[in-house]
Amino acid sequence: MNSDSEVIPIETDVLVIGGGLAGCMAGIKASEYGVKVTIAEKANTLTSGCAGTGIDHTWAYIPPIHEKMGWCIEDLMEDHIQGIAHGFINKELLYLVASENYERVLDLEKFGVNFRFDDSKVPGKFRIVPQFHSVPSSFNFDGRPIKVKLTKEAERRGVNIINRVMITDLLSTDGHVSGALGVGTRDGKFYSFKSKAVVLCTGRVNRLSRIVSGVWGNHRLPVYETGDGRTMALRAGVPIINTEFFSPALFMIGNYEISFGVPRAEVQPAGSITGPNGEIIVPRTYFYDWENLGKEKWTSEVRRKWMAQRRADRPPYPEMYKQGKGPFYLDLTGGTEEEIKYAEWSVSNEGDGFRFLDYLKNQEKFDFRKDKIELLPNSREMAGTAASGLAVNKDLETELKGLFAAGDEVGGLPWQASSGAFTMGWHAGEMAAKQTREQKGFLPVGEEKLASLRELCADMLSSKEGLHWGEVELAVQNIVDYYAGDVRAEEMLKRGIERLDDIKGNISFRAENTHELVRCLEVRSVIDNAVMVMRTSLERKESREVPFKFYRADFPEQDDENWLSFLALKLEEGAFKFSKIPIK
Amino acid sequence: MMFRPIFFNVEVCNGCNTCVDLCPVDVLAPNLEKGKPPIVAYPDECSYDGSCWIHCPLSDKGAIKVVTPLPMRVAILRGNR
Repeated sequence: MNSDSEVIPIETDVLVIGGGLAGCMAGIKASEYGVKVTIAEKANTLTSGCAGTGIDHTWAYIPPIHEKMGWCIEDLMEDHIQGIAHGFINKELLYLVASENYERVLDLEKFGVNFRFDDSKVPGKFRIVPQFHSVPSSFNFDGRPIKVKLTKEAERRGVNIINRVMITDLLSTDGHVSGALGVGTRDGKFYSFKSKAVVLCTGRVNRLSRIVSGVWGNHRLPVYETGDGRTMALRAGVPIINTEFFSPALFMIGNYEISFGVPRAEVQPAGSITGPNGEIIVPRTYFYDWENLGKEKWTSEVRRKWMAQRRADRPPYPEMYKQGKGPFYLDLTGGTEEEIKYAEWSVSNEGDGFRFLDYLKNQEKFDFRKDKIELLPNSREMAGTAASGLAVNKDLETELKGLFAAGDEVGGLPWQASSGAFTMGWHAGEMAAKQTREQKGFLPVGEEKLASLRELCADMLSSKEGLHWGEVELAVQNIVDYYAGDVRAEEMLKRGIERLDDIKGNISFRAENTHELVRCLEVRSVIDNAVMVMRTSLERKESREVPFKFYRADFPEQDDENWLSFLALKLEEGAFKFSKIPIK
Repeated sequence: MMFRPIFFNVEVCNGCNTCVDLCPVDVLAPNLEKGKPPIVAYPDECSYDGSCWIHCPLSDKGAIKVVTPLPMRVAILRGNR
């Protein structure tokens, strides 16, 4: 690649940026409206995103089952609002996800994903397990090939998938999105899109903090998700919310266990947590008693209280480690053959799990029937991370007309997970496609942004003194971990901002080739996201407990009266502006 | 380079480059010699998701192996202890 690299112009009615679960669903749905749809994907839609190598579960309100339990959609909402989000959630969007994901599961079935099993005792032959709510509400399914199935369905419908393009900028014209710019991650060409609507689905920011095992790629979630969507939206003047909440990448120290799909042994049968001498720390789980479905004695309220008590009784591992208690083990040794087989099946469909299981069996000669896996104290992910993302209205449109978002790109929905990706992707695809039908031609786009992207890339590729992307990334991660880690406070955060600004203003990158150029552009996204973390951390003058795990030493109490609000950040004429969005 | 995450069996791999096409982190590059296994160009950027191995058409015959590096290996309590 060089500064005169070719520009590939592409016109499309709907441009979907990011082809993970949400992006594929958006593309598939948008294609139903007779408009031209393009998915621009940084990697390859066959293997990219959080479910790139599979996903084995998705939560939903499931009428044929939950109605028999006397559990209504409002009960799911209450369980999620209280138990998962602690009141800090966008209820309109929660309703969208809760009420529509069962239909999306039925759509996924049509695309060839298997949700039904002959040996199931559950109505509909589904496999349903408990996860987030007080009754079992998560489908377990054969999700390993889901990205292959979604890609094929999108292609069958005529969606144009362009792999290996990293989008870096949104284009807008008179307050309306008008296209996007990107760089080919292999061909080094510039991609200039004109579009009538854009659906942003680039996921989260997974490289904000140090991966403690020292293996760069050892993250539960894709390391190539670098918050590109948030930074391009920020530069386009779109508000981003709650970026102060993020999960440090601590949960994979020398271990895989959380990508195992059994965080704290809740999801799968027979999983217990035991101590150094086999003593039970968390008792084993069981399959739900499906034969007695419809004969439940508990009311929803009693169930909710029971769930809250279970969560409150959860062992405080970090404190226990400080007291010298531990190690702790994930222990399935009490399981029956049927339960072990089920657990292995489930793991083999969950992200990274298929290879993990192969590694366990073949590299370690591990056997669930007798061996245990050591759990690590900081191996937990914060649900609050999913509260961060773009601010959208109930139709998933941002303040920039024609710009929609879906999945992890959207803020305000703790633990929306794959359910959020399926439902929001679908909905955003529909809204975007419908909107483009009202618009006749493409809006004119200026050349300035392309010129500055060209210049930026040329500088990186020709720099003699610039730094390798990995060097810059480590420095930024050190700053995030140090100034915005477990303890945050005003002066520390101000110092962190100064240091990030210093890097942003004074460091130049050096790229030897297109591969490294893309990594440099990714680290540029990470820096912008780190600035957002630091700025909003400084602005939120309270502490907020787990699952947000936000502790301000100078404001140690949770302050719902003033701060049960989303904190929005936007760029206006180069300056950061903050506002509070009250939670309704 | 610290890690050696991916091994190809030269006897089995026919250089079809499916793994190169699918690696989401782009750590592989096609071999300049046609029909030969790809080059692990950026081993330290491997994310160990197994895409290359899962989608390899000759995976069953052992064309490709992904090896978990020592700092990522699970700490196991063996049942016979």
